[in-house]
Amino acid sequence: MTSGAGIYFDGMTSARHDVAVVLSPDALQIAGGDGRWLAAWTYDELEEMAAPANVLRLGRRGNAVLERLEIFDAEFAAAVVARAVNIDRTGTRQRRQRGSVIGWSVAATASLLLVAWFGVPALAARIAPLLPVAVDRKLGDAVDIQMRGMLDPRNSGTAFECGSADSEKAGRTALDKIVRRLEASAALPETLRTFVVRRTEANAMALPGGQVYVFRGLIDKADTADEVAGVIAHEIGHVAHRDGTKAVLQAGGLSFLFGMLLGDFVGGGAVVIAAKTVLQSSYSREAEAAADAYGAALMNRAGGNVHALATMLGKIGGATEPGMTILLDHPETKARVAAINSVAGAKSTTPFLDAKEWAALKRICAG
Amino acid sequence: MTDAGATQIGGVRFLGNRRAYWRLLVRGALLLMVTLGIYRFWLATDVRRYLWANTEIAGETLEYTGTPLELLLGFLVAVAILVPVYAGFFLAALDLGSIGQMSGLIAFLALGVLGQYAVYRARRYRLTRTIYRGLRFHQDGSAWLYALRASLWWLATFLTLGLAYPFQIASLERFKMRHTYYGDLAGRFDGAGWRLFLRGLPMWIAVVAPLAFAAGAFIEVVDWQALADAAAAGGDDVMSKIEGSNPAIGGVVVFAMLMGSTALFLAAVLYPAFQALMLRWWSSGLRFGDIEMRSTLRTRQVYGAYMRFLGYSILFCIIAAIFAVVALVAMGLLTGGDKTGVGGEIAATAILLGGYVIVALGFSTVYRATALLSLWQLGMESLQLSGLSALDQVKASGRASSAVGEGLADALNVGGY
Ligand SMILES: [Zn+2]
Repeated sequence: MTSGAGIYFDGMTSARHDVAVVLSPDALQIAGGDGRWLAAWTYDELEEMAAPANVLRLGRRGNAVLERLEIFDAEFAAAVVARAVNIDRTGTRQRRQRGSVIGWSVAATASLLLVAWFGVPALAARIAPLLPVAVDRKLGDAVDIQMRGMLDPRNSGTAFECGSADSEKAGRTALDKIVRRLEASAALPETLRTFVVRRTEANAMALPGGQVYVFRGLIDKADTADEVAGVIAHEIGHVAHRDGTKAVLQAGGLSFLFGMLLGDFVGGGAVVIAAKTVLQSSYSREAEAAADAYGAALMNRAGGNVHALATMLGKIGGATEPGMTILLDHPETKARVAAINSVAGAKSTTPFLDAKEWAALKRICAG
Repeated sequence: MTDAGATQIGGVRFLGNRRAYWRLLVRGALLLMVTLGIYRFWLATDVRRYLWANTEIAGETLEYTGTPLELLLGFLVAVAILVPVYAGFFLAALDLGSIGQMSGLIAFLALGVLGQYAVYRARRYRLTRTIYRGLRFHQDGSAWLYALRASLWWLATFLTLGLAYPFQIASLERFKMRHTYYGDLAGRFDGAGWRLFLRGLPMWIAVVAPLAFAAGAFIEVVDWQALADAAAAGGDDVMSKIEGSNPAIGGVVVFAMLMGSTALFLAAVLYPAFQALMLRWWSSGLRFGDIEMRSTLRTRQVYGAYMRFLGYSILFCIIAAIFAVVALVAMGLLTGGDKTGVGGEIAATAILLGGYVIVALGFSTVYRATALLSLWQLGMESLQLSGLSALDQVKASGRASSAVGEGLADALNVGGY
């Protein structure tokens, strides 16, 4: 079949031309109703355009003018396609393209995951020490406002921080004694600001910029001053490693990698959140292990009892932790205790506080 | 091959085969999952090629010439633009001054305006990739001007609890259509906002009235002074103190919850009717030169489209439930033992997450293949076009525009078809 009917649009006006199409050996020729030649397209420039299933719509490859030829007769359309080198109606080319999209997407996802697993924490560790201390402090102040909003129940009528009332002053002095002794051995780039706050949980935390919160629940649970000192030494580890700033950088990096580049589809949000949670938990486990090691070393340097830190962690952590290991934000307590005990020095230790000072510290939130 | 070009009046037909569309969407959903969303550029292009090519206006079908790679490139450009913007807001949030306090609000507003800018640019991309009878559509006009207008209108709509919405749509549609061309044939929009307002008002009242009753009951019954005292006094049991100060508050809360769910129910039931109203009003206002459109869309047809969606959704739920049972059993086997390794945990998480993604993507696919496709088909087939003789002498004009707007809209999650 070398000739047939078609509809032609010249791409200059919207006028419709009923045409006769002739397939000559080297070109597809289009003749108008009056027999005048309207166009001749070579076979290698024919391109198939999107059309309904029963229509072959042709255009010219790389042509800025949107000339179109539509052929409705299936048999004649097949004859045209057989001559056109660049038209593939079997879908092979589409399948190949889809295959390469899948291949490259999987490769991109794998490389993003590798970057997230290794690159983001490494980058955060490199960048955090380069930032001026003032950045840490600003960040810490911003976090501080948020934390206080969350932690301070605002209903007791007394200050959120312990140690300012007259009956609490002696406890504050005892706390300062511990912090000064640790700080002298730590050589930090910024001064510590340590507070005991009225929360009943046995916990402590370090904010960026050298702020350390010790919850009164921790002091209640401790049996010796060295146990409190050990936990503060661990928190000083977070300050020395600038973990708060690192965590912010890590979260920003992950948000960029996953939030922006991947996962933008229905249900993708959950994938992104899950991936971020698992990764951030793993970063946090590493930071906790490093802070433990730092805290133990600092206790050794300050002449304190390293075992006290392990004892305290054992008390806080409890016997077993429910939930999934991959979602824990700190290593398992048994492993932490073992790791800390293994670095305990053999030499004799000096208690951080005497019995009277320790009793005062116990009453730091009594006011 | 009708000879509609010579006649004055013509209709629109939808030639698409639903089964082919289902196939396209299901394959797309699977590939979205495998590629974690990167396939969306290919799926969006496939969907548009299908919808455009199967829409026949006065005997000629539309053609979509956009490509997935254009969309991907546009998205990458948008990322390059947005990264410094996000980084700037991130740094501003660290600042403790008034700028830092406000940065969240500023970011929200700035990204909102940018989203409207993206909507306009994305429309331009789609129009210039739409070919009809060998000529392309195009759009001029400043996208920033549009973004400003749209943002101010959104603010007005927000402040009037939605009452300004019809006037917003009319104004924005006038702006868009005034800058829309088919070849050298200029478009315009003749729909009047107050018409939509009057027809939509009963629905608005039906939804807002229960909420107003609830608010009224609160104002009437609650002793605000006592409530404020109770809240200020604080203590461990604020709720019981509030109840002590206002003995009737329990009844009011129950009444408010009842009214709230009534409003939600009415909104869901009335939504198809509202959509039919909007679609009919909007398409009856479209003009290109002498070509005028009129829609005869019936409200019950739109309800039919949503019933279809409901039916398929129930079917999908049943299938998903069966698979969920199997998956839960598999998870039980993986985590049931006393000692489960990290590998078991990861596998269990992956199953849970995969199940969620399959359900979410499945519903979205069902929605697109039933309700959205039916709305497209109904909207198109209910159109009557007059003045079609103008189609014989339209001249080519306009050039293809970049896909950056689409990329921005994608990155900001304000995309459309
Ligand atoms: Zn820690």
